Amino acid sequence: MSARSTALRGIFGHPVSGYDQRSGMLLLAPMMAVLLVVAVFPVVYSFWISLFDLKLTRPHRVPFVGFDNYVKVFHDALFWSSVGRTAMFTVMAVSAIMLIALLMALLLNEQFRGRRFLSAMLLVPWAIPYVANGLMWKWIYDSGYGALNGLLYQLDFIDKYMVWLGDTRKTLPLIANAFVWKEVPLATILLLVTMKSIPADLYSAAKVDGADVWRRFFHVTLPALRPGFTLVMIYETMMAVRHFDLFFILTEGGPAEASHVVAWEVYVESFRRLSFGTGSALAYIMALVTFLLAFSIIRTMGRKL
Amino acid sequence: MSDFSNRRIARRDFLKMAAATGLTGAAGMPWGNVAHAADPLNFFTWSAAVDQVKSHLNAFEAKHGIKVSYNNAPWAQYRETMITKFVGRAPLDVLWVSDTWLPEWADAGWIAPVDGFPELMKYNADVDDFSTKSMQYKGRQYGLTYYTDYMAFFYDEDKLKKAGIAAPPATWEEVVAQSLKIKKAGLSEYPLMLSMARESWLIEFMSALVFSHGGRFVDDAGNAVMQDPKQGARAALQWVVDAVNKHKIVSPACVEIGELNGLKSFSSGNHAFALLGRYRIRTLNDPAQSQIGGRVRQALMPAGPGGSHATVGWMRFHGMTAQAAADKTRAANAAKLIEWFGGKADGKYQFQKLLFMDVGSGFATKPLFQDPEVRAAYQKYSDIAMFEKQQALARKKDVVSRWYGEWDEQNGSAWQSAIVGKATIDEALKKSAQSWNDLKKQS
Repeated sequence: MSARSTALRGIFGHPVSGYDQRSGMLLLAPMMAVLLVVAVFPVVYSFWISLFDLKLTRPHRVPFVGFDNYVKVFHDALFWSSVGRTAMFTVMAVSAIMLIALLMALLLNEQFRGRRFLSAMLLVPWAIPYVANGLMWKWIYDSGYGALNGLLYQLDFIDKYMVWLGDTRKTLPLIANAFVWKEVPLATILLLVTMKSIPADLYSAAKVDGADVWRRFFHVTLPALRPGFTLVMIYETMMAVRHFDLFFILTEGGPAEASHVVAWEVYVESFRRLSFGTGSALAYIMALVTFLLAFSIIRTMGRKL
Repeated sequence: MSDFSNRRIARRDFLKMAAATGLTGAAGMPWGNVAHAADPLNFFTWSAAVDQVKSHLNAFEAKHGIKVSYNNAPWAQYRETMITKFVGRAPLDVLWVSDTWLPEWADAGWIAPVDGFPELMKYNADVDDFSTKSMQYKGRQYGLTYYTDYMAFFYDEDKLKKAGIAAPPATWEEVVAQSLKIKKAGLSEYPLMLSMARESWLIEFMSALVFSHGGRFVDDAGNAVMQDPKQGARAALQWVVDAVNKHKIVSPACVEIGELNGLKSFSSGNHAFALLGRYRIRTLNDPAQSQIGGRVRQALMPAGPGGSHATVGWMRFHGMTAQAAADKTRAANAAKLIEWFGGKADGKYQFQKLLFMDVGSGFATKPLFQDPEVRAAYQKYSDIAMFEKQQALARKKDVVSRWYGEWDEQNGSAWQSAIVGKATIDEALKKSAQSWNDLKKQS
């Protein structure tokens, strides 16, 4: 057994040097205390809250209701319609991100003039905070003075200004578009890093075997990108399922519930209705679903890594 | 070396130690600060007219020798901020309250009635009735108003003249007829600016439409009547749906346009008519801020068939917390502060006048309508007689209740569903009424 592993084992039960161990524990204790207070306690406490009918506006009566809040959520038709919209938003956004990021990564993997400039430009959307991003898209989509209408009108694609976010058929795809714009840079970088790690020998061997550019792409590049794809898919799925900022800034769940997703429902329940019991239950359900999604992606894609 | 230093520290012991450290730290925090009689009065408002509040506070401190600690929070987060403070027992004595929160805050025992102070109640005689009623709940009065306003109907006089229209519309039918004429003349694609986005303003727009159509959301007993075709909100919602989808005089984008964007759109000259807060007239007629500056006039709210020129009013008031009311000295000082802001200061309605002169906000204290300075200032950008006439027809919202906030979410969504054609008018109003009845039952 190496000295290092002996020391590590010593921390939790096998004394190596009592003095070192005690010092280490004491040094770690403040951080552990902070973590307990700011991370572990809120997580456990919010679960505890989800078992009560706790409404801040009714502070004198907080009955214990067990899992009734969860049952109430599952019996709510609005919850299920918001699950549907969340799923639709996630599928639209993650598919678009994966496709655009792949194309961008393929482009940036080539050597050409201006590649570095393009790479730097690519990071701009990523660097913009979500709130600023939301406000920017609110201006772009505005039906009265928005840049999108202005552009399409000047290019003669439309003969009068269109309604964008106010049209319930367009609301979700437009919000997804704003989300994709912000998320593509990170996904591109992750795929580009994976692409850079593909050994050049594989391409040489494929060329020798007579594989054309398409065959090399489908039989060498794509399989080798699987770890990057898995990572991007897990991360972006989690981001999309939990996404709130753009829904808050662009539409506030409207019009007519067209963008009422689960994250919005958690916000409304917790911070507008101040129903912390149901809000916590909803948040736990969302966390569980996110975890299960990530787990299933790893199980289906990650096992072949 | 001591025994302790040689002792093995198990993982469980370590976690216990860390938890104890955290709890010890937490225990040292100042939980539930309650003010003592000698402490300054704690005054909390939303972040509006901060400079005016500060200057008026300085005068109060100088006059009464009572120290006041003043803080504010943004309007958008004010309700949540205050509720968290109430629950956390933060020291609060006097605060700004919106009419829509009164039942919620009064029933929770966070704010206290002030009708035990005759020096405050005497001001009711000078205040518009709907404004006083908006401060009352279950027969008790909870404060004094410093700001009151209502939803007004504005028109661009220039556009009407160009379209050959001599007088502004007096009924909603005339609004349609005149809008179609203006549309036909190519003066505006959507002549009426109507904001129907989901925000706190939505209920004010809806209530103005419903009241002027002779309808109600809720009857005097607090039962939902909005779905009732005769006395409910049906006629008003039908008018909006037709205006958007049939006559096309209101933009279908109205469901995404909030009050502020509506103001911008109207002031940029895109429309001939608009429903906006009355106080917006100052901005609308300011050429530096509005492309139609000097051309905007106010008319009485158009009446629906069987309706009237009624509109909806809203108000904000200075309230006293239950915490302050529990201490005789603090309560007396808090009452003095409320009077200084909501009543007279040095024999005059100074604060209301200050707000009106500086930012153009409205008031419910009727004597101010006779104040020569107020009249002269208002006549520069609008007609004070119309201001007063319409205010006399303003009514308090009938949906103010403990469950108002929750219902408002559902109702806004239901109206939007009807406007965008995802539900019929009857379905939307039935859903809204159902939501009201459920919440009332639960509460």
